[in-house]
Amino acid sequence: MPNCSFKNSQIRGLVTCVPSEEKRIEDELDLFDGNLKQVTRLKKTIGLDRRRVVGDGETTADLCESAALRLFSQTDLNKESVEALIFVTQTPDYSQPCNAAVLHGRLGLKKSVAAFDVNLGCSGYVYGLWLAYMMIESGSCRNVLLLAGDTISRVVHPKDRTVAPLFGDGGSATWITRSSEESVSWFDLGTDGVGYDKLIIPAGGFRAPSSSKSKTEITDQEGNVRTAESLHMDGAEIFNFSISEEPSAVRELLDFAKIDQEEIDYFVFHQANRYILKNIAKRLEIPDSKVPMQTVERFGNQSSASIPSAICGELRTILKSKKKTKVFISGFGVGLSWGSAILEISNLGICEIIERDRFN
Amino acid sequence: MKMNLSNFIENFAEAIEDLDENTINPNTQYRKLEQWDSLAVLSVLSMIDLEYGIRLKAEVLRTTATIEDLFALVHSKNSNNP
Repeated sequence: MPNCSFKNSQIRGLVTCVPSEEKRIEDELDLFDGNLKQVTRLKKTIGLDRRRVVGDGETTADLCESAALRLFSQTDLNKESVEALIFVTQTPDYSQPCNAAVLHGRLGLKKSVAAFDVNLGCSGYVYGLWLAYMMIESGSCRNVLLLAGDTISRVVHPKDRTVAPLFGDGGSATWITRSSEESVSWFDLGTDGVGYDKLIIPAGGFRAPSSSKSKTEITDQEGNVRTAESLHMDGAEIFNFSISEEPSAVRELLDFAKIDQEEIDYFVFHQANRYILKNIAKRLEIPDSKVPMQTVERFGNQSSASIPSAICGELRTILKSKKKTKVFISGFGVGLSWGSAILEISNLGICEIIERDRFN
Repeated sequence: MKMNLSNFIENFAEAIEDLDENTINPNTQYRKLEQWDSLAVLSVLSMIDLEYGIRLKAEVLRTTATIEDLFALVHSKNSNNP
């Protein structure tokens, strides 16, 4: 699919915001029927450890607002200079209007701003960047604010072991601008809609509207509880998808860009979990040292915020330096959808993770 | 690619966290192992894909009983598609 490259856009800064409430898998022994051995094994193999979750009344929009305000305060971007706002999320405040419009108002942006949402999850950050780069390269704007985040903890059933311990919440803000010097980037995006039901919230939309039936709890053979309005994941299929599509997508984009794997400084994959990350790295024969994978153990799988979170969490020092760092980013998940990009990043004005103070 | 049973057992043990190679043998009924859970299934599928180039469905692992049976299955698929 759309292989493309750009020359005049670059990321100038990014901030990821996580909620203050932390959950630890050790504290959730009940979910695993008190089986400490199993919890220990999951911790060791998948890397399940800690995750951040929003509190009541706290949303993706709140996390992204905090991230955006921090970005404004630490860089030259400000509410007058933003010309487009892209909000990537699957957990918006309202089904209408879009989060981008809500945040446009809250951030006090000017009226000439184009603002819209993109309904994508784990691949969404790459799609958001791709849109931002296209908008800049077409000449339609100079400064794009990309907000990407999710609160998947709100859509998983707390008694569903197949999803509840995996996901954490997060919101990010990224400033993309027209670059003064040449900065080449490459993108590749893909979709397999046949697999739409492998990761899905089956009810609550317009196909199967919310009803008392869709809110009824059902216990499956393994003892996991969920309703038709909770997130369903076919773990084996999603795992297979990740370890087959992901490595080939990486190889294809490297081929298109005519870049050797060794020339890439870091591979930032969607932080699904350490087990999947290690598996992908092994298949591509990339040394673990080039693959950030610690962020997911601190914060959980943050859906569309996972790539910016890993960048802020593990690469901030090098990306704020003058050295041009080649970063390969790649997201894969719900859709099924995937997207990869090779970016040159340096001199970031800000690259950090902040915690949202709910009571401020 | 080495396609022999002892090698397969080694790979099998390595794929599953906390499984000591010395505690399993060709006659081990792997689905009765304490460590056998949904994650172990994925780990073994991934190992078979990576080491032997064969992509099995999760259900297939429920059709064989011992490690030797599973090896025989992988071996037969492997010789069908060299």
